[in-house]
Amino acid sequence: MNVSQLADQLRRDHLFMKDVTRWEVIPARSARTAPFPSCMDERLKPALEKRGIYELYIHQARSLEATARGEDVTVVTPTASGKTMCYNLPVLSEILKDEDSRALYLFPTKALSADQVSELYDMIEEMGVDIKTYTYDGDTPAAARKAIRQAGHIVVTNPDMLHSGILPHHTKWVKLFENLRYIVIDEIHTYRGVFGSNLANVLRRLLRLCEFYGSCPRFILCSATIANPQELAETLIGRPVTLIDENGAPMGERHFVFYNPPVVNRQLGIRQGAIPVTRTITSMLLKNGIQSITFARSRLTVEVLTRYLKDLVRDPLGNAGRVRGYRGGYLPGERREIERGLRSGQVDAVVSTNALELGIDIGALDACVMCGYPGTIASAWQQAGRAGRRQGTSIVFFVASSAAIDQYIVNHPDYLLHQSPENALLNPDNLYVLLSHFKCAAFELPFEDGDRFGNAPGTEELLGYLSEEGIVRHVDGKYHWSAEDFPASEISLRSASSENFIIVDITDAAHHRVVGEMDRFTAPMLLHENAIYMHEGKQYQVEKLDFDACKAFIRSVDVGYYTDADLNINLSLLDIEKEEPFAGTASAALGEIKVTALVTMFKKIKFDTHENLGFGHVRLPETDMHTTAMWWTLPDALAEKLSGDRLKNGMMGVANLLRIVCPLYLMCAPQDVAVVYQVRSPITDKPTVILYDNCPGGIGLAQKAFSMRELLLEKALQVAEDCPCSYGCPSCVGPVGEVGEDGKRTAIRLLKELTK
Amino acid sequence: MNLREKLRAVGGNGGGQKAAAGEVFTDCRHFAVYRPEEEFPGARELTAETLRMMSDREIPERLDPRRILYLDTETTGLGGSGTVAFLVGMGFLTDRGFEVHQFLMRDYPEEPFLLKHVANGLGKFDVLCTFNGTTFDVPLLESRFLMNRMDRSCLEMPHIDLLHLCRRLWKLRLGRCNLGRLEEIILGKPRTDDLPGSEVPQRYFTYLKTGQMSLLDDILKHNAQDIASLCVLLNHMADLYLHPEKIRFSEDVYSMGRALERMNRTENARHCYRLARKGRMSAPAGAALAMSYRRAGEREEAAAVWREMIREKRGGVTPYVELAKYEEHIRRDARTALEWTEQALMLISEPALRESGTVQESKNELQYRRQRLMRKLKELEKDGIHDGDQGREGAAPAEGRDKQGRSDPPV
Repeated sequence: MNVSQLADQLRRDHLFMKDVTRWEVIPARSARTAPFPSCMDERLKPALEKRGIYELYIHQARSLEATARGEDVTVVTPTASGKTMCYNLPVLSEILKDEDSRALYLFPTKALSADQVSELYDMIEEMGVDIKTYTYDGDTPAAARKAIRQAGHIVVTNPDMLHSGILPHHTKWVKLFENLRYIVIDEIHTYRGVFGSNLANVLRRLLRLCEFYGSCPRFILCSATIANPQELAETLIGRPVTLIDENGAPMGERHFVFYNPPVVNRQLGIRQGAIPVTRTITSMLLKNGIQSITFARSRLTVEVLTRYLKDLVRDPLGNAGRVRGYRGGYLPGERREIERGLRSGQVDAVVSTNALELGIDIGALDACVMCGYPGTIASAWQQAGRAGRRQGTSIVFFVASSAAIDQYIVNHPDYLLHQSPENALLNPDNLYVLLSHFKCAAFELPFEDGDRFGNAPGTEELLGYLSEEGIVRHVDGKYHWSAEDFPASEISLRSASSENFIIVDITDAAHHRVVGEMDRFTAPMLLHENAIYMHEGKQYQVEKLDFDACKAFIRSVDVGYYTDADLNINLSLLDIEKEEPFAGTASAALGEIKVTALVTMFKKIKFDTHENLGFGHVRLPETDMHTTAMWWTLPDALAEKLSGDRLKNGMMGVANLLRIVCPLYLMCAPQDVAVVYQVRSPITDKPTVILYDNCPGGIGLAQKAFSMRELLLEKALQVAEDCPCSYGCPSCVGPVGEVGEDGKRTAIRLLKELTK
Repeated sequence: MNLREKLRAVGGNGGGQKAAAGEVFTDCRHFAVYRPEEEFPGARELTAETLRMMSDREIPERLDPRRILYLDTETTGLGGSGTVAFLVGMGFLTDRGFEVHQFLMRDYPEEPFLLKHVANGLGKFDVLCTFNGTTFDVPLLESRFLMNRMDRSCLEMPHIDLLHLCRRLWKLRLGRCNLGRLEEIILGKPRTDDLPGSEVPQRYFTYLKTGQMSLLDDILKHNAQDIASLCVLLNHMADLYLHPEKIRFSEDVYSMGRALERMNRTENARHCYRLARKGRMSAPAGAALAMSYRRAGEREEAAAVWREMIREKRGGVTPYVELAKYEEHIRRDARTALEWTEQALMLISEPALRESGTVQESKNELQYRRQRLMRKLKELEKDGIHDGDQGREGAAPAEGRDKQGRSDPPV
């Protein structure tokens, strides 16, 4: 059966349709094209025509025209719309006209750069011209580096390498910096939060050096669909950009199916799990020979689903290989093999985390199954975009879990279908981030009196501080780096910590092998001793976690359960920035806090039934984070009227409601903010609900929440009042089992008092 | 909290520093050190020919040893554009002895002056000699010239990096080859109360903060000593190249052979290998000697060395294998080749010879060779042709290659 036939059959299946909350058909869209613009170098034409391209899609043509006018541009394009041409054509055009010209390409990951470069090679080869394109990253052999620095017309790298490998050694890259015409940054929607704040500062440093070398490069930025591509781009590069967002690429018909698993326990509001439903849908696709991708939210779910699906097709011919898992932590070679398998059709089903959301070339697939809401509208469309060819029908299933946000989406499909996607927020002036890069900048080129660092505030204070610390020396109007350190090595762009944990399989005593890696913050959750670690559906038990050496040693096992760790969070106050009373004697405040995270225990959960089989202790050091937070403090009078337990349950309910509401109104991913409640908070000494930015230094979410402090409470109240459950369910204040019989009532009462 | 307070909360706090205001910088500080020529034996006799044995750089035809510049820098860090060479020392031979001129930047604004002196200095010489200068000092100075928008072409001159030359000669015996170890072990002059290089940057920063010039005495001494050592080391090495028989350690003389071979000095290299045959390095030296003959097409001489090694019971299974190859492909004597192969197989089975995982590999290879040779012999018998009557190698191109696609190294 092909996709259209399958869709028809499903629509006649009443049993299936009774749980479908919406079946949206997105009609096919035809191409909108424009002739080759005159600013495009003539030599590109035959090369394009050889590939069957006689006209450009309008967004490609617009990009060429705008860059020719000398504008910085941001192109917004969905998956598979010929995005790379939007930057390859202007760049190649420029180099053809002036062979001294140089361009720098930045991709968020190595895998992506490898992919895009191969397309560029093809174009250059077809034209038969001498344009040298090199990838410069951690894998580039030392012998090749010198040639790249001298001769590379197009240098492809990633922000991390630019930050630590190129900028601090800029004197070796004279040719590049002197002649830099274009800076291409792809997938800019990935540069939000810490990563984005870091990149914005890396670009400040880059532009500062360009000025030193007398070049003035233009930017071409590409983004997937987000709410604020222009704002994001302008914050990243610190100057205005031209937005190009008319997409001219054609698209086949698409079905978008919202499926809410049936309720199995009405009183407790418990639904059938999303994993078994996803398993059923994906199995159906697999049996019908429809190539599909399934997205799961956690690495664990990916492994569980992969195992189920592999079992379904496993046979002596090795057909289990038709189903593959894919997630961060697999080694690069393994990932490339899976990507190739998808393109060639040897892999029929892949189960992935959001790792495959990015523009890695896996070709277009027929179907996509989302096991749970990926957290943002932008991600959901990125994932859905993996299914959908330029011609032919494709289908997307969204399977809701019982998580509140999933329930909200599946019951309000219009939110996903018609609401504009999230803002990508970043804060280049986050003090941690800014200070670190400011040091790097001072190392790279001495600041002079009156200099500024891009549009960053407080250059003078920063320089004054660094002088006081003896890190720079102010003499004769210049601030010279005067420390032994190499400041770029002290920052990792992607997280607060640069160290990754290596995962070593010691099953074969004679032959230890590295099977993967994991970041420092996730490691305590998934790699604590006795954790069951899953890799490609195989189970391993962690025998030893060497925290100092950043190594986990695992051994292959076969047990009927998996493990899930509990994270303990402690907060302490560093500084209060603002405090505002409201609703009588309640107050809201904005400030800085320290968050201490500690994993103390884990649960063992049985496969299939998901029963709890027991627990174990974890002994690991705690991790610290300084961040920005805002909090609501309840008035004493209100707290005194409630017994301890009722107050606690009511506050738990309020916190749960805010967890649902905040990501929606702050337009961020749920994991970007944390909401906790404390009956007697060490911060205020009173009952308090605290919201904080879930990354060191914060990216501005707490500030935004503070400005919406009353609205957020109103919306939380609305969710609770609109929910049809009587005593609480996972879609509002939380299940009765957690918040107690009076939890919902108390939460509503608290919120009413606070929004009076 | 204001921004400054926040910055303090984010970072730590250390001692402040402020340069004296209103100071006018007109030049950097210059120091000169003179050493008597006796401390540099042979330095005046150094010739271009000797240097060419050691290095593949373009050495000027009529080299005047007084036109070699020995250079070393002291820096504020380990590299990157924020690292500065605050002291550059330049040493050279004069009619009066050995002179070291040191240029010190007393504060950052003096850097352009220092660089000007360096550029002037470099312009007066034909050859540059450093220790690890190709990867460190020269790129660092290049970077400094660039950062000060000054011409850096003065650095483009023949450059002898002693670190590379020393590694070729002594790494086998010494392992790490830093200047300190070389002075102690090779020159027999261990340094006392020397300031460790790793403490140099911090010492300089302390000086900047306090202005106490005396803090720099140790650095100046250290730098001058380093430069003098460069000259002593280069000439010591030149002496050894001219008289390899003076070398006491067979590792070193064997290493010199390898180094000379790299410079295409085949005859000198063979001389070293023969010298090294007498000591601990007999087996590798023998193998290197034989391989040198083989590469030159002198197969008979190579075979003679292999046979000698077998007589001395040195070199393990290699001589047998090489002789088998020689008999099979050159002499076309399959029967003798088979004999050597059988002997090799017998030898490799002795447990005492079990060295590593590669043993199994060579065993497999030998077995393939034996099978091939036996097949050849059988065919020869069938055709009634006697050994050695076959045509040249070209007549049977597939012969040198077995089923696995393996082949002997090119003849």
